[in-house]
Amino acid sequence: MSVRQIRPRRRRLTAGAALSYVLLAVVCALVLLPIVLTLLYSFFPVSEMNTYLKTRGNYDQGRWMDLLLSPSVVSLRQYYDLLVDKPVYLQLFFNSAFYTAAILLGQALVIPMFAFALSKFRFKGREALFFLILMLMLMPFQVTMAPSVLTMRFLGLMNTVWAVILPMLFSPFYVFLLRQFMVGIPGELLEAGMMDGAGTWRAFVHLVLPVSRPVLGAAVALSFADNWNMVEQPLIYLSNYSSRMPLSVMFNQLTTQEAGVAFASAALYIAPALLIYLYFQEDILLGIQLSDMK
Amino acid sequence: MFRKKKSLWLFLLPGLLGLMVFYVIPFLGGIYFSLTDGSIQNRFVGFANYARIWRNEAFLLGLKNSLELSLISAPIIFVSSFILAVMLRSLKERSILFRNILLMPYLVPSAALLTVWLLLFDYGGPVNRLLDLMGLGRVLWLESSALRAPIVLLYIWKNIGFSIVIFSAALQAVPDAYYEYARLEGAGPIRQETRITLPLIMPTAFLVFVLAWINAFKIFKEVYFIAGAYPWDSIYTLQHFMNNKFANLDYQDVTTAAYSFAVIVFALFGLLYLAKGVRGDER
Repeated sequence: MSVRQIRPRRRRLTAGAALSYVLLAVVCALVLLPIVLTLLYSFFPVSEMNTYLKTRGNYDQGRWMDLLLSPSVVSLRQYYDLLVDKPVYLQLFFNSAFYTAAILLGQALVIPMFAFALSKFRFKGREALFFLILMLMLMPFQVTMAPSVLTMRFLGLMNTVWAVILPMLFSPFYVFLLRQFMVGIPGELLEAGMMDGAGTWRAFVHLVLPVSRPVLGAAVALSFADNWNMVEQPLIYLSNYSSRMPLSVMFNQLTTQEAGVAFASAALYIAPALLIYLYFQEDILLGIQLSDMK
Repeated sequence: MFRKKKSLWLFLLPGLLGLMVFYVIPFLGGIYFSLTDGSIQNRFVGFANYARIWRNEAFLLGLKNSLELSLISAPIIFVSSFILAVMLRSLKERSILFRNILLMPYLVPSAALLTVWLLLFDYGGPVNRLLDLMGLGRVLWLESSALRAPIVLLYIWKNIGFSIVIFSAALQAVPDAYYEYARLEGAGPIRQETRITLPLIMPTAFLVFVLAWINAFKIFKEVYFIAGAYPWDSIYTLQHFMNNKFANLDYQDVTTAAYSFAVIVFALFGLLYLAKGVRGDER
């Protein structure tokens, strides 16, 4: 008795679907290629990588770079060098982790409550406020950043970590995303909660938040991606405070100096993002599917 | 729907306060800055700053490049994410792995991709090898205007998954029956997508395009990773201009540039919205 008999037979692919299948497989292979190469090259010996990267930038028509596919020996030396001999990398890595964690935590305290108020309370000016958030969300970063630097100066926060963290806590896009999800939570659910005597706070904590799990997961993952890769804000807000720069800003300098360990640096940098992705991937899809994106 | 005033303020206040302090008030205050001369008396100079910035070559170059780069990236992301989403839908449950792979780069920091990208686009690297195999000449990808290609590709690589996910969500809401009916009426696959799917998901499509476009102004990031803070003229973006002005503490120019940019972007939004409205009325 094989398992196959129990499962319903899969429908055979139509010609169009088969074509889609092949094309998607090619696209996905291309999408994965840079990540796979980075991981693969991170296990090459430092010296081999150094030599290989030196063959870059050769403008001789007759010369090609080799296509390296397997190392002479599989080596963890890059990782060892990075983690033991080069404290600056870890320092920057922790800076990134610090900003990301602080911003996520702050957003968790502010944004769900804000979205709840915008979606499940009736008050004067609600539509106007939502419109304002929409406009702010659609404003290019360059437009909101310039004036906010003035605020930072006024508050004396320039060149402190707060300048990077605080504005992100009120990021309009996540307010929009959560609000669009919460609008779809049926009123009956909340009314049933109210009949049981739950106050608005309890309704929020025990009904709205658990129901919003997919969109919360999506927001965490998307916000993580933003913060883990942020460049514009630290470049401006921390221009005189380079010891507190995140890894994203310093990565290109770091890897040009230390070409031999560049791929391990990249792999370590990618790893937390991949873990977050694997953990939240269903939430991202479901959260966006259930939010009213229009 | 709740109406209790006291608990409303509890939920609303932190967010509202932050929004005001870090977004709204500075935005309004910045307008004042852009209209004064930044001297100690801070005289009101009307639109003199605007007149000056619009003659500033670096500003115009950055503005032009930012608009061009975003108007290259956004349509590519828009069209290809729609096509990929349609292809994913046609595979039904078989599409899950593909969909997950396509979204993955969105989480991966593009900074980390820098080294491998420079390798792939090296003069003697794999991309040129491929071109050579196809009988095309090699390209100096990492210099002057050709450098736009690897930068735009890195941007697309990272961001396309998000648009695909939004499109996929919208596509799921289109009932299968519509397509069956269209097939019976003899509509081919392309006609089905352009005549049924696209009009039905128009509001979402509009959002996807606008988000893709707005986010594409952040392509500065990819430029910065690959070419640093002082890049070739072909990829000098508005953000480079502004960073430079920030470094010189020239806040008049910074705010003036920001609002000039805002006016242009919102004018284009308006056009886009009108275009969408017109097309929406047709059906």
